[in-house]
Amino acid sequence: MSEQKRPPEDDGRDFADAAWSVPSYLLSGMIIWGGAGWLLSRWTGVDIFTPIGLIIGVGLAVYLVYIKFGKFDG
Amino acid sequence: MNPLLAAAPAGGGEEFQAPGPELFEFPPLFAGGPEWLTKPVLFAVVGALLVCAVAWSAFASPKLVPRGMQNLGEVGYLFVRDQVARPFLGKDSDRWMPLLLSLFFLIWTWNIMAVVPVVQFPVASHIAFPVVLAVSVYLLKIYLGIKNQGFKRYFTDMIPKGLPLPTYFLLVPIEYLSTFILAPFTHAVRLFANMFAGHVILAFFSLVGFWFLFEQPTIKGVPLGIAGVIMTIAMTGFEMFIQFLQAFLFTMLAAMYIGSGLHADH
Repeated sequence: MSEQKRPPEDDGRDFADAAWSVPSYLLSGMIIWGGAGWLLSRWTGVDIFTPIGLIIGVGLAVYLVYIKFGKFDG
Repeated sequence: MNPLLAAAPAGGGEEFQAPGPELFEFPPLFAGGPEWLTKPVLFAVVGALLVCAVAWSAFASPKLVPRGMQNLGEVGYLFVRDQVARPFLGKDSDRWMPLLLSLFFLIWTWNIMAVVPVVQFPVASHIAFPVVLAVSVYLLKIYLGIKNQGFKRYFTDMIPKGLPLPTYFLLVPIEYLSTFILAPFTHAVRLFANMFAGHVILAFFSLVGFWFLFEQPTIKGVPLGIAGVIMTIAMTGFEMFIQFLQAFLFTMLAAMYIGSGLHADH
């Protein structure tokens, strides 16, 4: 962990960064793991993997946002 | 000819036809001219020259007590510096102001052209223009990141530390796709889609007004035509707000990306 005290003007930047990054992370999670699920569905012929992949992708993206920005303590 | 009228079916067709993609297709400016030299290209260049002219008249010989154009220019400069640059770039703001100021005013000028009579075309609704700007900012971001943080640090610092190893396998693709592919993509598409949709909406309502009041006026059609005219006026006002907002957002995200290249995420 590289926790270092930031100069005050950087605090707003972190918050705005987070706000603008969240939709992009959610979309990214859905594409990557939803895509993996879709491939698995095609390969096995079992349809259920696509929605499972999408949900896992969103879950992972939310988790990534949480560990990147949620622990921000100013 | 006005593109809105050109969109109406030729030969006095009986049925109203909503404007479509043909609004965005232009022939070369003059017969025998190069195919790429169309109205949007012309106005992209005119917009750039206009921004240069305004900046020149405002800042070429600055006085201690600003007057006239310098006053106006300083209001614009302070807006971009305080609302766009400083929140993201902090003490590095001044160094990046020339780029951010030019970006903001260029995009805003391009967007405003959608509601300028005769011009009536938002340059950024041709996706090539926002793509060029977004790709330039993207390359700049990666260049600054590698230059200031080093190749290895730049590509690894954005990944959170101290997680169990299998988690990285799940999260790293999401992080890279988001930062290196989706971010520049949405940067360009956000501006393009807003301008594209805005132009279609304006064209649609003004064509409704024109068609039902002048082209094919009927008793039943006239109220619809009046509604079209009122909506055209209302949407023009709304579009002017969106034009400003999108120029602001594009520049703000550019500042954010530049900031992420200059400093590590965490």
